[in-house]
Amino acid sequence: MLTSLLHRLGQTLFVLFGISVLVFAVFFATPGADPTARIAGRNAAPQTIEKVRREYGFDRPITVQYAIMMKKLFITRDLASYANRGELVVPEIVKAAPITASLVCGAAIIWVVGSIGMGVLAAAMKDTWVDRSVMMLGLVGISIPVFWLGQVANMITQNRYHDTWLFSWVPGLGYIPFAESPLGWFKALVIPWFALAVMFIGIYSRVLRADLVALSEEDFMRTARAKGLSPSRILLRHGLRTAMITFVSLFGMDFAQLVGGGALLTEVVFGLPGVGRLTYQALNNMDLPLIMATVMYSAVFVVVANAVVDMLYILLDPRVREAR
Amino acid sequence: MGGTLRVLAGASTGTLDPQVAYLALTKSMETPVYDTLLTYPKFAGPDAQPVIANLAQAVPMPEDGGLTYRLTLREGLHFSDGRPVGVDDVAASFRRMFKVGSPTAGPYYSRIIGADLCLKKPETCTLEGGMETDAQKRSITFHLRRPDPEFLDHLAWIHSVILPADTPPHDMGDIPPPGTGPYRITHFDATTGMRLERNAYFHEWAHDAQPAGYPDRIEITFGLDSESEVSAVESGQADWMYDNVPLDRLGEVGSRYTGQVHIYRLLLYYFAMLNVNEPPFNSLKVRQALNYAINRHAMAIYGGGPAISAPLCQLLPEGTPGYEPFCFYTRGASPQHPATTWQKPDMERARELVRESGTAGEKVVIVVPSDRRSGTVADELRGTLDALGYKASVHFISSAIHFTFVQNTNNHVQISLGGWNADYPSASSFLNTLFSCDSFHPGSDNSPNMAGFCNREIDGLMDHASDLSLTDRAASEHAWAQVDRALMEQAPAVPMVQTRRVVLLSKRVRNVIVTLNDEILLSQLQVQ
Repeated sequence: MLTSLLHRLGQTLFVLFGISVLVFAVFFATPGADPTARIAGRNAAPQTIEKVRREYGFDRPITVQYAIMMKKLFITRDLASYANRGELVVPEIVKAAPITASLVCGAAIIWVVGSIGMGVLAAAMKDTWVDRSVMMLGLVGISIPVFWLGQVANMITQNRYHDTWLFSWVPGLGYIPFAESPLGWFKALVIPWFALAVMFIGIYSRVLRADLVALSEEDFMRTARAKGLSPSRILLRHGLRTAMITFVSLFGMDFAQLVGGGALLTEVVFGLPGVGRLTYQALNNMDLPLIMATVMYSAVFVVVANAVVDMLYILLDPRVREAR
Repeated sequence: MGGTLRVLAGASTGTLDPQVAYLALTKSMETPVYDTLLTYPKFAGPDAQPVIANLAQAVPMPEDGGLTYRLTLREGLHFSDGRPVGVDDVAASFRRMFKVGSPTAGPYYSRIIGADLCLKKPETCTLEGGMETDAQKRSITFHLRRPDPEFLDHLAWIHSVILPADTPPHDMGDIPPPGTGPYRITHFDATTGMRLERNAYFHEWAHDAQPAGYPDRIEITFGLDSESEVSAVESGQADWMYDNVPLDRLGEVGSRYTGQVHIYRLLLYYFAMLNVNEPPFNSLKVRQALNYAINRHAMAIYGGGPAISAPLCQLLPEGTPGYEPFCFYTRGASPQHPATTWQKPDMERARELVRESGTAGEKVVIVVPSDRRSGTVADELRGTLDALGYKASVHFISSAIHFTFVQNTNNHVQISLGGWNADYPSASSFLNTLFSCDSFHPGSDNSPNMAGFCNREIDGLMDHASDLSLTDRAASEHAWAQVDRALMEQAPAVPMVQTRRVVLLSKRVRNVIVTLNDEILLSQLQVQ
């Protein structure tokens, strides 16, 4: 157990190191990316530019610059943004993380419940019009880009129909902390939750249906049917549980990348100052410290989620357990 | 009056340090927080120039042929932490500009005696010989090594704000130093927003220079995109969107919220900059050809239509001192026989010039910032270049680095799209900064002369126009107009359109004052 844990940790560190080197190298290899002149300001005197170069350490060898940045990010944690000077990137991420978590957790509940409902319904009513309609609906969900859906939702709820009884309750775009007002928090997030969940409901319900249909021909399902179990028990107890293996591994990765900043478009469209919007802001400003910090944060989540998914496999699938 | 004014802005303010910040947003938000010795008048209209006295009692007259300026600091001034403002604070603030590496320390203040040394060794900057103060008389005297015809404007420029003498000599980032204006910054977060509240120690000393504010609080929220900002102001959730109304919402805003819209002219124009050291634009004929060929009417439509965007043929935008309208490159006109306004493109003349240059068929890459407005403009420009016989293509580059990328000669940019607005209303901010030999630094990311244009004769004309302003303002402005013509004859750029700013305010906002230099005065907006 300890060895596998250490093995995982080693892997994680290796992945993080690789990604950080890549981000750093790509940034400095981009023509025009040198931040010195942008920090110094337009038409600054050559002496002022030299001063900035020295102060920010851009005159030092690239490996030394990399080492200093990593030290500031992980050890002293005082790495400051190049665009918003004085803004320390680690506390910014710490502040943004709960907002992203609020968004993603809410959306995840909706998409898990929604997709299981739709997937099971479609599988149970295979080849009927219900199945076809539900799957068609899923396909529509997958096809709608979240930024478009978000903008349309905003247009309806914030603009065209904002003054009607239907949407007058919708607060202005932005985030309301849970501690400030739980109801406000809910109101501010409920539309983003649905906007983010729609695509995932589409994907997950289709995957689940396909899995359930494929499983119904398996030996253990036939045995269950031969034992005379009720169709609903077979579908839910035996079929669904096994089909959840794919579902969970998909969910683990998607959830992790969203928490790590993948809900970028949703956060930008709805003005939620989470990790995704921080990433967006960093890329817009070509702000290396913030890009580095958000990428590292995201990478940590994906690697950790991978490990958690592996562990969940063991719980869900007896075959994996016995093989160990 | 009172209440809370709610402002929306897409991006954050960069640094809050008023001696370092160089973004229009920061300048707008900090105008009612910090003060300079002189300032641009805080009233509307084209007469809102020249500079007037602010923290100083009066605007000084240049002495010794423009080498000495004597000012007296007003009595009874206080910083927002309650401490009185003295001449020591003034002296320290000017030294601090060099210590913190203020972007304009070089271009605007290097003529003060001792500034050279301060630029070289900022940490030991004393400005010895360049600044004298007398605490008893509250006097401040500046000594210059050579006359600076725009020194008074520079004393009104935001980087020379007066801060407490003990303000740390480094970029303060997100910690705002105390100021003297009617508001103080009480909260700041680069990702979410900032708050301004009344400065209890402020007493109005000159209404035209720094008027007392109306709202009790000003809340600025960062991070919404401009589409959402429009919706929020329309529905009354916010009072003012700092950013421009996006083009696709102009119709809706103009027809349904007419009373809440303010349109005003900006000293800002858009151009295609031609690198005079890269083929094919190293040929004067090619540069002139493109100026003849470009459809400025189409460019005005891409800029939002005639109500907010007008064709421009010259390098000084309308409203700038020295602006005299002319157009060399339109059908039926030439540098020898100029028209007053742009009529339509002259493709025949343009093709003839290209033929004479022998450059048809060459490849041309247009370097364009990847922002909302540039894509269509770039396509139109590419079409024009194709029609002239070139093989043109468009190369998009992140808006964040486009400006520095196109300045560096190592990137061999042939033609780029851009825009320019002045720090303060003056012809030199456009002509000198963009086209003088002094602002061309080969191999540097900081070379605002993007065309790489250097003509000693025209430089001489600029110096002459500049020096004239010390004695005869009208003659100086006329001389700048001549520089404008001389430059356009060489066509180092294709000026395209001058735009107006469309600002949307909520129903409850009153008293919108738009000044020439500071645009909308934040402190003067009243909320009901």
